[in-house]
Amino acid sequence: MAEYTSTKLDPDSHLLLDQPLLRLPHELLRKNLKSAQRQIEMTNKSVTSAVQASNNHSPADTLASLDATLAKAQNLTRKLEALQSEEKALHKQQKARIQHLEELHEIPSLSDVKYDNWSHARLDRLLVDYLLRQGYTQSAKELAQEKGVEDLVDIGVFEECGRIEKSLQEGKTQECLTWCGENKQALKKIDNNLELELRLQQFIELARSGEMKQRLEAMIYARKHLAGGQDPKFALQAAGLLAQPPDTPVEPYRTMYSHGRYEDLARQFLKTHHELLTLPPQPLLHIALSAGLSALKTPACHSVHALQPSTLTGAPVCPICSTELNELARNVPYAHHTKSYMEDDPVVLPNGRVFGRERLKMLNEKVGTKKGKLRDPTETSGTEWGEWEIKKVFIS
Amino acid sequence: MDAILSAQQSLEKKGNLSKAIADVQTLIDQLQKTRDAVGETPEQTALHMAKLKQPVKASFDKIEEDLKEVNKGLNQYQKALKEKFKNSALPSAANDVLSRETGLVNRAIAMHLLREGKFGVARTLVKEVNESQQQAQAMDPAGQSSWIHEFADTDAMIMDMDMDTQWESREDGEVLEGKGHLQRKFTEMYHILDALRNQHSLGPAIAWAREHSTELENRGSNLEFELSRLKFVELYTSSADAVSDDEHSFGGPVQALEYARSVFPTFSGRYSRETSSLLGSLAFSPALDESPYSNLFFNQHTWEEVSSSFTREFCSMLGLSSTSPLYTAVTAGGIALPILEKVERVMAASRGQWTSVNELPVETPLPPEMLFHSIFVCPVSKEQGTDANPPMMLPCGHVIAKESLEMHARGKNRMKCPYCPNESHPREAKRVYI
Repeated sequence: MAEYTSTKLDPDSHLLLDQPLLRLPHELLRKNLKSAQRQIEMTNKSVTSAVQASNNHSPADTLASLDATLAKAQNLTRKLEALQSEEKALHKQQKARIQHLEELHEIPSLSDVKYDNWSHARLDRLLVDYLLRQGYTQSAKELAQEKGVEDLVDIGVFEECGRIEKSLQEGKTQECLTWCGENKQALKKIDNNLELELRLQQFIELARSGEMKQRLEAMIYARKHLAGGQDPKFALQAAGLLAQPPDTPVEPYRTMYSHGRYEDLARQFLKTHHELLTLPPQPLLHIALSAGLSALKTPACHSVHALQPSTLTGAPVCPICSTELNELARNVPYAHHTKSYMEDDPVVLPNGRVFGRERLKMLNEKVGTKKGKLRDPTETSGTEWGEWEIKKVFIS
Repeated sequence: MDAILSAQQSLEKKGNLSKAIADVQTLIDQLQKTRDAVGETPEQTALHMAKLKQPVKASFDKIEEDLKEVNKGLNQYQKALKEKFKNSALPSAANDVLSRETGLVNRAIAMHLLREGKFGVARTLVKEVNESQQQAQAMDPAGQSSWIHEFADTDAMIMDMDMDTQWESREDGEVLEGKGHLQRKFTEMYHILDALRNQHSLGPAIAWAREHSTELENRGSNLEFELSRLKFVELYTSSADAVSDDEHSFGGPVQALEYARSVFPTFSGRYSRETSSLLGSLAFSPALDESPYSNLFFNQHTWEEVSSSFTREFCSMLGLSSTSPLYTAVTAGGIALPILEKVERVMAASRGQWTSVNELPVETPLPPEMLFHSIFVCPVSKEQGTDANPPMMLPCGHVIAKESLEMHARGKNRMKCPYCPNESHPREAKRVYI
């Protein structure tokens, strides 16, 4: 049987939510390395071929070619240096994150004050993550800065992601296509057809105008981008679309012409982007918060008979009952309990309210009830009863 | 964790691009040398160029080697990461209830920020929420929800905070007034806290405590006395630095004595011992640090203690917990998640998610300070008491759930208590509130 309460802290299972924290900088470092590789490959190709080709050139031509090659090599240095500084930043971030998680391993128990601090830092980064995902970038930045958790959050990544998402929502495909280009290999690996969908969208725009010249252009475009070795569905749909005017009632072409397709593209981009960087699809705040709401919630929290948060009982106010979370928690399941949890020595007042005997006495002393009399301390002007009227109650 | 740490360290040391950059520099030097040679002896161009081929190839091979090294470091890190997190899959939470409640989540966050005193961030958030809301409205005028208004006014409330304009005069709903009230209270609290903590100025806090003197006393709080004691100490020691050029060095203690005369009588009932000890300290001036009272006067933590006890009293007087509910909930979530994740894995095959039922399927033990309500579990049915199935007390004092009672009493005129020999009529059972 499970313990009723527990202050045990098992860091390994406690870090359930924190894998993405360490994962993202790693993925970014990989991406960084890939860019370096690509730059080097490209320079390698052009430098080598330039050197090979120079065999029967005149000295002047050779000099010119060498100068061009030198410029390329220098350009490579510049690019690599830029990537290196990016790399440095990522390493720093990585280190900060590992240290943050490492701290948890040194905390002996959940009731330790250090756990409180750690959990506060976690809340801050979950909040920043949430704000970024909602597109509230400025708030996210300010919060991260005021709390000093910049290294634990991914402002740059989400900012870039949000920019592309927004451009799609505004009906622009170019930025997302560029992004696809940068991640071509990775996209191929997970067999993702985002780029094809974007190409199809461009085709749709060409077809939309309805003019002959544009439609021809659309056909050429389709041949180039949609009729490759990939999914033939795209080419077929494109061909079918050409036969339909933009105001067609025929499905699926009506949907294809619709502007809502940009929203779909934006969603698909977001999904692909998060998948590629191993970011969880929903904000971690949602996961942690809904679990917490449930673990804390009791049937009393939304009961019509709930104890009103009273200044008089001196009991700490339940977070689920407080204004901030009450509505939010309405639709989550409440915690499961197999045992009653009561104050010691419970007694019942004539109005049915149950209190621990000691606490009832203490509260009554505070509100200044006459000796030998008792009243319900949750009611400011309640009836007074004789002490003999309270009754012991057995709750097991 | 150590494995990850060491993998990261070696990554930082060896797995970086600096070597590759150095090797590109070698290549550049090589090219430069050849270029100079061709410039000097153009007739041997072909020879120079032929000599260049091998080093160029070697350079690029070397650079690629360098990258492989980086790649190796990354792989090692990834391995360590996998090992560390091998048992922890993220809960899928496909049934993400909160994603439909963005407005409420945003509101909770805004209130959390206010509570933490991050007024600036809260203001920015409300602004950004409004902007995105307006955009969404422009696209889809029908999909407008009610909380926008709430937020529009939150914004105004925050804006008003410093100026304290007449927010009451607005003709808004009751909910709003409640919220505005809360926010104003938070501002008040942070003004006082700021004065207390950062400027060590007691005035605002004492004024507040005096205003709420009776309530505080009813709650058994000694905040007001603590503040006054601090004030006494402050006056007492002020002679040491501020009024040193005063004609008599007893300026501080005299002021303190005057203060004590005017204020302490109100405390004499509950705190007579403390006040007399404070007054006793006057006799030891100025050699206070050697007196038996020194720990009264030279306590570093006093300000922090008073600040936090002030926060506690202020919040509970508003009926709010002194820690942010959002913080408590997220922390509880962190504690409960490992259990819920396991359940989800087990249940995935059979029934569904834990978010789709009325009650969690397993216990999620939390630290004792996170239990806020008494809990009644019927000893017969093992179900928790709810409004529909409330706890009922039999005349003998035993409590069982209403449904259990009805089940037990079915078809009988008198029933025996399941826990003692007492017999009673089901009508005699009484609803209790736990």
